[in-house]
Amino acid sequence: MSNLELGIASLPVLLALIFLRMPIGLAMLGVGMAGTAVALGGPNIVLAQLKGQVYSTFSSYSLSIVPLFLLMGQFATLGGMSTSLFKAAEAFLGHRRGGVAMASIGACAGFGAICGSSLATAATMGQVALPEMKRYGYSGGLSTATLAAGGTLGILIPPSIVLVIYAILTEQNIAKLFLAAFIPGILAAIGYMIVIRILMALSPGNAQVKERMPWGERLVSLASVWPVLAVFILVVGGIYFGWFTPTEAAAIGAAGTGIIAFANGGLSRQSFADAILKTAQNTGMIFLIILGAAFYNAFLALTHVPQEVSNLVVAMDVSPWIILIIVLTIYLVFGCVMDSLSMILLTVPIFFPIISTLDFGLTPEETAIWFGILVLIVVEVGLITPPVGMNLFVINTMSRETRIVDTYKYILPFVASDIIRTAILVAFPAITLGFMRLIY
Amino acid sequence: MLAQAGVPVAGSGAHLHKFIMTLSRVLALFGGLVLLALIASTTLSIIGRSLNTIGHSDYMAPISQAIAGFLQKFGPINGDYELVEAGVAIAIFSFLPWCQMTRAHATVDLFMANISRRLNAFLALIWEALLTFVTILFAWRIIIGTQEKMLYGETTFLLQMPVWQPYAVCSAIAVVAAIVGLYATWIRIQELRHGAEGISA
Repeated sequence: MSNLELGIASLPVLLALIFLRMPIGLAMLGVGMAGTAVALGGPNIVLAQLKGQVYSTFSSYSLSIVPLFLLMGQFATLGGMSTSLFKAAEAFLGHRRGGVAMASIGACAGFGAICGSSLATAATMGQVALPEMKRYGYSGGLSTATLAAGGTLGILIPPSIVLVIYAILTEQNIAKLFLAAFIPGILAAIGYMIVIRILMALSPGNAQVKERMPWGERLVSLASVWPVLAVFILVVGGIYFGWFTPTEAAAIGAAGTGIIAFANGGLSRQSFADAILKTAQNTGMIFLIILGAAFYNAFLALTHVPQEVSNLVVAMDVSPWIILIIVLTIYLVFGCVMDSLSMILLTVPIFFPIISTLDFGLTPEETAIWFGILVLIVVEVGLITPPVGMNLFVINTMSRETRIVDTYKYILPFVASDIIRTAILVAFPAITLGFMRLIY
Repeated sequence: MLAQAGVPVAGSGAHLHKFIMTLSRVLALFGGLVLLALIASTTLSIIGRSLNTIGHSDYMAPISQAIAGFLQKFGPINGDYELVEAGVAIAIFSFLPWCQMTRAHATVDLFMANISRRLNAFLALIWEALLTFVTILFAWRIIIGTQEKMLYGETTFLLQMPVWQPYAVCSAIAVVAAIVGLYATWIRIQELRHGAEGISA
């Protein structure tokens, strides 16, 4: 078997192992190490690599942003900021039809600005928003679907851990990627609100509206979210304006949310320890995948698979747009069963070389950034796609009386809004890139 | 509640279980403290750097030479990048045993949801054993790596910190991780023998 054949054969083997419930990181690591050993005719080189590679992967300065952002998200969930965010969004939107649900989306977007994780955003806002939506007579399915969809804003709106990983993999500027994610994130929030408005028009049920708040009170409620705004400006602004490196910004963000959580009385000894243990779990999980991906991708590079696949695609002479749509569809399908980070780490090294050779009328850097945002969106759709979307389960367990099929039914319009938005962003790259072009 | 591996029925097994759980928990908390220390040092470093920048800025000098001079005494912590690199590696190594004991590693569950519990328990044992094998491999290799770093006397660029030191700390943690892994595998064997009672998470 030639090295190229070996590389190609490794992919189905890897997928089979993952589908047999082997931990994803371990599967990539195992196939990567075994494949390299076979390709090089013995394990000696792999064993020599291991003396330093595990340490050097774990001690990477740019990757150290990951545990810091995770800890920041954990502190953010303890800080009581979800309540003030929701109240503020409700003050502005509560009097509209579907306003309480729209406020949940708005609050999720706000929380996404200090939390880079989708599940954490959905779960934290769910604690505040679900009881309120119930009180105002919203159906269970609409409430859970709204929050599951709103949670995806956590990853889309910077800071975003997945985007950081993409930036490192493709050697792109994190600040530019964060800027590019901003408009699509806002569009996502608006799209979800439109969905809520349409659902309300079709079947209003018992949902009631709140009284219109005078502007004075609205501004007061807005003032109460200043800690969120301060942390966001410090972290994301600091990265944009080059005050700090992204790792430094994440450290400041973790310190900031930690101080807010402490000041609001959200940090007991118990919750503090839990926040650290949760960070430990997520960090350990992510770094096993990162390590596995490092070994697997090194093996693929050794067998020239990404290069050959890229050559093959270019030789096919198909329209770049068709190829882009095929790639995004693959992400959409796999995103339904695999978590976003594993998807990105596994596939970007294969797909990115293909996309970067295609001509979309953009500079190479613009193509890379635009593709990153598109990938981020489609893998997030997987989190809310029935029957296995993770956000759906997390939120559904928080609303006991809601059947999962009701959540499934109401999530479909939100998924449709995601797909329409992706199509628009594919057709008009300027929407994603405009903001970034303006600043740089 | 955090998910965790199944608890053996009774007797000395329960003590061992508690010991291993506490060990990995304390190690994870230690990693968290290292992370917090890095956050503190990075934040202080940034504050120092900012004060220094303000002290050197054009608008500071006319206001007061004394204040400008005072601010110029501050500065970033020397080699803060190197501290972050060493610290984060130690933190991540410390997180791994807790991650394994609480079964936090990401898997794709969809295709095995309707397969018999026994087969699932069998596969779970295989994967746990492989994870443990890999952990032992890591521990063995990083110990060799530490010896080599000592031999060559390699140091970091700014702090002149011997590279073998963080390597040695990680080696020790990796050995603990390997032992925890062996215990996690033993639990999987018990679960397979006793009908996979503990598999819930």
